[in-house]
Amino acid sequence: MRAWLNSFAAFLPLGVLWLGPLLAGLLAVLYGALDGEAWLTLFEHPQLWPALALSLGTGTLSLIISAVLAFWIVAGLYGGKLWADSSSLMGGFLSLPHLAFALGLGFLITPSGFIARVIGSIAGWPVPPQWVTTQDPYGLSLITVLVLKEVPFLIWLIGAQLARPDVSQMLKGHFRVSQSLGHGGASVWLRVFIPQIVPRLKWPLLIVWFYGASVVDVALAIGPTQPPPLSVIIWSDLNNADPAFNARGTAGALFLTAALIGLALVWMVLKKIFLPSIWKFFTRGPSRRRTPTITSGLLLLFFCAVYAMVFAVLCVMSIGTLWPYPNLFPTEVRWTAWQQFVMSPAPLLNSLSLAFASTLAALGLAVFWLETVPEKLDAALLVFAIVAIALPSLLVADGQYLAFLRLGLNGTWVGVFLAHLTQVFAYVFIVLKGPYRAFDPRYRAVSLGLNADPLRFWSTVKLGMMKPALAAAAAVGVGVSIAQYVPTQLIASGRLTTLPVEAVTLASGGSRPLMAVFALMLAVVPAIAFLVAARFGRKPL
Amino acid sequence: MKFSKRELFKAAGAAALLPLFPKAGFAGDWAALEAQAKGQTVYFNAWAGSEPINTYIAWVAEQVKARYGVTLEHVKIADAAEVVRRVRDEVKAGKAEGSADLVWINGENFRAMKAEKLLFGPFADELPNFKYVDTEGKPTTLVDFAEATDGLESPWGMAQFTFFGDGSKISEPPRSMDELVVFAKSNPGRVTYPAPPDFHGTTFVKQALYESITDRSFLRLPAKDDEFPRLAAPFFDLLDSLHPHLWRAGQQFPQSQAQLKQMLADGELLMALTFNPNEPANLVASGEMPASTVAWQHRAGTIGNTHFVAIPINSKAAAGAQVVANFLLSPEAQGRKAELKIWGDPTVLATAKLSADEARFFGTSVVPGSVTDPAPALPEPHGSWVPLLETAWLESYGT
Repeated sequence: MRAWLNSFAAFLPLGVLWLGPLLAGLLAVLYGALDGEAWLTLFEHPQLWPALALSLGTGTLSLIISAVLAFWIVAGLYGGKLWADSSSLMGGFLSLPHLAFALGLGFLITPSGFIARVIGSIAGWPVPPQWVTTQDPYGLSLITVLVLKEVPFLIWLIGAQLARPDVSQMLKGHFRVSQSLGHGGASVWLRVFIPQIVPRLKWPLLIVWFYGASVVDVALAIGPTQPPPLSVIIWSDLNNADPAFNARGTAGALFLTAALIGLALVWMVLKKIFLPSIWKFFTRGPSRRRTPTITSGLLLLFFCAVYAMVFAVLCVMSIGTLWPYPNLFPTEVRWTAWQQFVMSPAPLLNSLSLAFASTLAALGLAVFWLETVPEKLDAALLVFAIVAIALPSLLVADGQYLAFLRLGLNGTWVGVFLAHLTQVFAYVFIVLKGPYRAFDPRYRAVSLGLNADPLRFWSTVKLGMMKPALAAAAAVGVGVSIAQYVPTQLIASGRLTTLPVEAVTLASGGSRPLMAVFALMLAVVPAIAFLVAARFGRKPL
Repeated sequence: MKFSKRELFKAAGAAALLPLFPKAGFAGDWAALEAQAKGQTVYFNAWAGSEPINTYIAWVAEQVKARYGVTLEHVKIADAAEVVRRVRDEVKAGKAEGSADLVWINGENFRAMKAEKLLFGPFADELPNFKYVDTEGKPTTLVDFAEATDGLESPWGMAQFTFFGDGSKISEPPRSMDELVVFAKSNPGRVTYPAPPDFHGTTFVKQALYESITDRSFLRLPAKDDEFPRLAAPFFDLLDSLHPHLWRAGQQFPQSQAQLKQMLADGELLMALTFNPNEPANLVASGEMPASTVAWQHRAGTIGNTHFVAIPINSKAAAGAQVVANFLLSPEAQGRKAELKIWGDPTVLATAKLSADEARFFGTSVVPGSVTDPAPALPEPHGSWVPLLETAWLESYGT
């Protein structure tokens, strides 16, 4: 009884600040989609089917390639000298928002971009080549960005699994058994480790999948245009002046979500039917093949090189007013963009205030829940957290826009804060739940036995021991909030602007130096949060 | 719809009474309006993709604060359509105190707001500085994309479709659509235009329609669905002959004019386009384009129009918004806006009719990148052509 009362008390702030806005958004989007005309016009859209195919294709391919590369790298490096460094490196890569990365990578690979200039200056090309790189019709550059960004995320997730004492203990045992049966390292990974790790990562993998298939800001920056991915069509519909287009956008967001869920269901069925036989084919006979140490190392090096180049190119872009092909350095260097950025700091300040407020609120809500609600209810909350993250942000944000319209929250800081909290709390809860629940209750018994009152125990003992986990969750929260584009743009209604909103606006029509400044700031803020978190605990991420 | 009594009275009063007042009688009212505006905060929703524009608006904010005690907040938006949507949603939700007080607007967005009665006014022709506007020489200050402004929006600046490129790479710029096809043929992959419904892309398509249609008089009239295929046939022939020679063989198009501009500056394209004839010179001045930049217009004329500011019906600072709109029309504000180093947006005023004191705000120097041989401005085709063109373009070239 007392437990239930506690849950209710814990639920109140959570219900008002998080679950309420989330469910209101979902209900509003379903209600908004009760518009037959909108569905008719959606299905008459000449680009609907190619755009849908592009969305599902880029999302699915990027997931498969990322997963293969991530496991390849982990299999080669796990247990080796580079492993500890590379997993903390991945955490650093993780803090760079997709959008900032896409904007920098775009300038590397575009036909008049840095790579073409390097090759051109060696091969003597007088004019830029006519490559079809950025915004190629098949979305290959979009897939490239997604893969380069998701691989570190997956490596970090796999690393987190491998770092669990129970998992590493079990895998060590399995490794010894397999080796004595004549299997090499690669064979053990393929036959034993991967099949055990993948099911543990099914939700993160689903999130990566759906994210890639519904992302807006990255697709706007580097995705194909004719036709664009469905998410971009939905996005321009949602921002259209005509309410009929808005309704079509809402219908489109629901349609894309339904298509993704349908695809996931198809995958589940196919997995049941075909996976055993495919797996058998892949794993015939005992193999002495060793783990791919060298290629893994090279891949890691490649990732480091790309991230370093993206960062360097963004830095030069921010001061390069005129930088024509084939120059490797700008012909006109001015600090105008940085001056402009400093002169109007509103986007940075808004981003910071939203990030801090939503992260603090999320930490408060999560700790309150974990302290007052029995563990068995975690699963229920986890479902909602995964729903908040996995569903396309287009859908959730459009729903919240429609719901907030009635509450007068659009265009207000509070409205944007709630929209950020929807995402931030979900991530913070997921990151914090494991370490927090793993806390040994005997510490509490000992402390209370030593005459410490519960509050003192909590503030001195538990908080201290939880500090690395809390710091890691906070860094994740800041990173998630800073990167929010879709909800901010819709719900801020132009009233307040943040770093990603400015960056996308500038990418679609503004000066490249200023765009580079915003991309850099997008990268710098989460990186600082990550570094601060790293100081608080040995291994925050 | 729920509006406060004051708001309703104001709107009704403005609509019913103002046209009856002679101009002279307004002067007293204007002082009262300025008094009312004092202390108000005006949220100016204006496209903010360009830094010179943002800097100019910041200057306007300083001026109206100092002169009239009006606080001007620049709400930076990517597309005016966002504002139309927001105002409509607010009015629908019964929100009398809207989030926008002044909107930078024209064309389709104005047509939508006018048709749905989302605009305050008429107020524009009652502004004291409206007398400077060149309504005869620049008829588009009264007719916005074939839609009469009816005083619901106040002219702010002029635009005319203009092409530009690096003069060191282009010996003879193409000065008609036919010449452009030849130019693209001899420079394959180095010419393109943004995909409609991007504003500049749609304008390029309209320009192509202008130069290919056999009888231009049709363009003044509403487009008819059943006649469109026949009238537009030469237009599709033109694009069919142009597209294979474009960037990426016309299979893909950049999304925006800014992207086009960047590709030109990078050396990937030979030419770009703009709606601001002064933009190329501006880009030279800011170091974003080389000094060898040249700008040109098609010999037989290019599409021109006017951009405006309007006040949403649910503005909570309509008085302040009118004071700002009036200041935007002053010779000082217009002259500063036309200055290349500031923004370079052509004025809506009749500069020839200004007194020497008023005209001193306008410079007269010719700088690198300016249009050397200006062509006449063609009025925009009737707005109903736009959705037909955009849909047809998307179906023929968009998939």
